[in-house]
Amino acid sequence: MDVQALEREAQSAFAGASTPAELDEARVRYLGRKSPLKQALREVRDRESGMSLNAARERLETAVTAREEELGRAELDRALAEDVVDVTLPGEAQRRGHLHLITQIRREIEDVFLGLGYEVVDGREVETTRYNFDALNFPEGHPARSRLASLYLNGDVLLRTETSPAQIRVMESREPPVYMVSLGRVYRRDTPDATHNPIFHQVEGLAVDEGITLADLKGTLLYAMRALFGEEREIRFRTHYFPFTEPSIEPDVSCFLCDGGGCRVCRFSGWIEMGGSGMVHPALYEHVGYDPERYSGFAFGLGLERIALLRHGLPDLRQLWDNDLRLLSQF
Amino acid sequence: MRVPLSWLREYVSVDAPASEIAKRLAVSSAEVERVTRIGVPDEDGNLGHFRVGRVLEAGKHPNADRLQLCRVDVGEGESRQIVCGAWNFGAGATVAVALPGAVLPDGRKLERAKLRGTVSDGMILSESELELGADQGGIMVLPESWEPGTPLADALPLGEEVLEIETTPNRPDLLSVYGIAREVASLFRLELAAPPGTDPRLAEDETPSIEIRDPAGCPRYLGRVFQDVPLGPSPPWLKARLLAGGMRPISNVVDVTNYVMLALGNPLHAFDLETIRGGIVVRRAGAGEALTTLDGVARKLDPADLVIADHERAIAFAGVMGGEETEVREKTTSILLEAANFEPVGILRTSERHGLRTEGSNRWEKGVDPHLAAQAAALATELLVSVAGARWSGHADVHGELPERPIVRFRPERASELIGLEIPAEEQRQTLERLGFELEGDVVRVPTWRARDVGREVDLVEEVARFRLADVPFTLPRRREMFGRLSKEQRLRRVLEDVLVGLGFTEAYTSSLVPTGQDDGAVALPEPLSAEQAALRTTLIRGLVEAASRNIDAGNDEIALFEIARVYLRSGESLPDERWRLAGVTEGGFAGAKGAVEALHAGLHLELRIARADGGVLLHPGKAAALEGGWLGELHPALLAGGWGAWELDLAELFARVPERVAYEDVVSYPAVHQDLAFVVDDGLLAGELVDVVREVAPELREVRVFDVYRGDQVPPGRQSIALHVSFQSPERTLSDEDAREIRERIVATLAERFGAELRA
Ligand SMILES: [Zn+2]
Repeated sequence: MDVQALEREAQSAFAGASTPAELDEARVRYLGRKSPLKQALREVRDRESGMSLNAARERLETAVTAREEELGRAELDRALAEDVVDVTLPGEAQRRGHLHLITQIRREIEDVFLGLGYEVVDGREVETTRYNFDALNFPEGHPARSRLASLYLNGDVLLRTETSPAQIRVMESREPPVYMVSLGRVYRRDTPDATHNPIFHQVEGLAVDEGITLADLKGTLLYAMRALFGEEREIRFRTHYFPFTEPSIEPDVSCFLCDGGGCRVCRFSGWIEMGGSGMVHPALYEHVGYDPERYSGFAFGLGLERIALLRHGLPDLRQLWDNDLRLLSQF
Repeated sequence: MRVPLSWLREYVSVDAPASEIAKRLAVSSAEVERVTRIGVPDEDGNLGHFRVGRVLEAGKHPNADRLQLCRVDVGEGESRQIVCGAWNFGAGATVAVALPGAVLPDGRKLERAKLRGTVSDGMILSESELELGADQGGIMVLPESWEPGTPLADALPLGEEVLEIETTPNRPDLLSVYGIAREVASLFRLELAAPPGTDPRLAEDETPSIEIRDPAGCPRYLGRVFQDVPLGPSPPWLKARLLAGGMRPISNVVDVTNYVMLALGNPLHAFDLETIRGGIVVRRAGAGEALTTLDGVARKLDPADLVIADHERAIAFAGVMGGEETEVREKTTSILLEAANFEPVGILRTSERHGLRTEGSNRWEKGVDPHLAAQAAALATELLVSVAGARWSGHADVHGELPERPIVRFRPERASELIGLEIPAEEQRQTLERLGFELEGDVVRVPTWRARDVGREVDLVEEVARFRLADVPFTLPRRREMFGRLSKEQRLRRVLEDVLVGLGFTEAYTSSLVPTGQDDGAVALPEPLSAEQAALRTTLIRGLVEAASRNIDAGNDEIALFEIARVYLRSGESLPDERWRLAGVTEGGFAGAKGAVEALHAGLHLELRIARADGGVLLHPGKAAALEGGWLGELHPALLAGGWGAWELDLAELFARVPERVAYEDVVSYPAVHQDLAFVVDDGLLAGELVDVVREVAPELREVRVFDVYRGDQVPPGRQSIALHVSFQSPERTLSDEDAREIRERIVATLAERFGAELRA
């Protein structure tokens, strides 16, 4: 028997098989029990021809396995090629929840100030006039003290009109350094309209330490405004008056819509008013027992709804209290 | 405060355009709301179309009885024919003329036109058409001496720019043109003119009788008498100034008082001298006293109201509004001019009490410098004499000790230090001096008009800082010994929010203020905003029910809402107990709520312990449960129909149980053995009771879960089958079949003993 010729013939039969069935047929013919090769192996007597027959058999078996894998892979490819989905069909529906827009903004601000090393303090919402006004240096006769402006529970208890009473409570409780922000609901007797609601949210920040400057306030607000409104923002200071700060400053942020060129949102000035700020008035230090010669500090306050309205173009902040899923799920 | 630019420039010769002045004021002094232009537009040579004219002929229009036909010399050689509807003038009158092409203040463009068949080659103007006055009765008659053809703009303030300034309450000195001029002089480093007003010679001595019975409420009362007052209209320039300043011209006397208030910031009042009985007394109102004010309203006075009275009755609300009976009127020939000073809080209270806010009260309530009264009186006197032609015949100035100029210690280096910008001491000195402060060594004397506002070193730091705000650099505090972190409660609140959002819940914000009557224990507001916002809430759930209901009405689906906020419970102390709560409302009934509450507990690594509870008014009576620190259940259909799950948890109670740290358990090294066991028990038994016992007897238990509850043919009546999926696992070894059988037998035996439970085959 010509082993070499047989092997050549078998190899070409395996290679020529185009389906698993053809390959199987060829495998039975050349490697099956009744195949000439197997018969020859059974009949072989001398060691030399045995070794050469066995080597041929091994090569052929390897070739069959390889061809089998090739054909199997081709079969799979063909099947997969036919198994097509319409990729534009929707996925399996998942219910998705949303944080309220104000919470999202609140977290952003908290994270900015956590990054700057501030702690977050939740103050009380029902406060005494001592913490809400007296300790913050509101003079007798200041309009905010009026029952026409604030919501009183009785003569000296009211719903806080800003979150800064928390600052007094923290300063009373310990010596500087104090770096804190307080965020939450505040209450004023405002007639509801597109930009007012009797309940709204503020963030107020306080930093008291040795050597705090007005420049530190400017830098801090710049950092915060860039985090909220984009890296290109600039900050401008305008003088103002608040009882609890001296000097008092109103910070403006450069308009993020027109980049300072002037548009409806910035009332064609290129600048948007962001709230109030200033250097902590020494009367507050006297109230909490800090030494105003040793410590200085700054404070600032911003409205969260105002940020929402400006940044997202919301036309009416009362919508934030409607809790309509169609609106809440936009953000 | 409206500041006409021409008026401002009378006190400081500033060349900068209005926009530049506005920009600098806004940064350093006071907000400038806008810059407006009033009067005749100054564009494309428009002012050239307005001329002084002399009427050469005037007669009835041939085709219209109501019109006059005039020939007017406007300095062109040839006179013009102009048709006019007014009759308050005749030939020889000097008038204001607009020529064809002129754009009037109201935007109308004048054309050469035919009126009733006759050409009108221009228009003779009234005050109101030029916005120089309110008189619409006829055309404006000008002084005879004015030459025809003179550009009208050279003779009259035809139009100008006005700064509309919003001042802060600490700066009443800026509620005056002179006060703004002082700021502008500082901003542009210009010379400020001396304050306007010089007393003419006092010819006679008719000293008015003035008595101040309440020197705290009225530190100063300066009164002046004028005789032979020819009451009438003010000259055009004065009317124009008042209009530009936002006030209506009334009569020369009243206009002068208003002019002085706008110029200097000290409100004045003029009484008809003949109506004053005896003399002036400044006192608090008597019991039952009444006063009819200038607006014609009869008002009952409060004993706390400060009034100006004569020897018989109250004749004016001090600083707020004059009385009708003593008002200056047409027949008035002698007046008493009041230049006083009033204490702010009393004026504020009176104005609040009577709902009366006036230009005067607005200034007094912020605190006017008592030294200012003399200057204001001088300017008023000068004007009454020179403009109105009155005779000044008497003067009295009653006051105690007027406040001294405060003295403040000031360290320029401290200012630089606080601002964070090195400002040379010399520059600081100049800034302060320009504003009227006097420096001597480290001592600063504050000008009287800033005495209320500046009392500390830091107030002077502000004076220095506000002129350099743009130069302040951007730095961050050099922090020490501080790091930022959320408190445990804040961190856990975020965890709960995230768990719920992950479950598909959306966060709602609902009102802290609710109607009364929901909870008798709620803290009520004595003066609520509305009946709907009259008490502090004691639960979050009602707001969420309302929110869910709104969403249903809106046609939204997959409604699942939560809120984390505070409730306010009576505490027995003056401040209520504010507690953070978490509440939710969801589709899917009891099981929907329970699934969420289970997930929340899992998120906090807490075991959920639950017991059957009374539903109360909120919940379905058969689907209500109590939790540690809260409740869950299905909403009572009367509250919200359709099977809604709901819960509310008290976060302090929940968080108190949260473990400080979660300890590692080996759940990977050795496999768990899973088994399903079904027990037949009495119908009334709660699955939770079964599960509790299984946990108790099998410490190797890794998980136990009820996966089926069955009642029906396969079990005897009055019994139910509860199927449990249990898995056992040891962190130390692989449990053998033998071990599993032993545990299982322990469970089966105990359940049989406790509940008569039979294991179903
Ligand atoms: Zn813009």
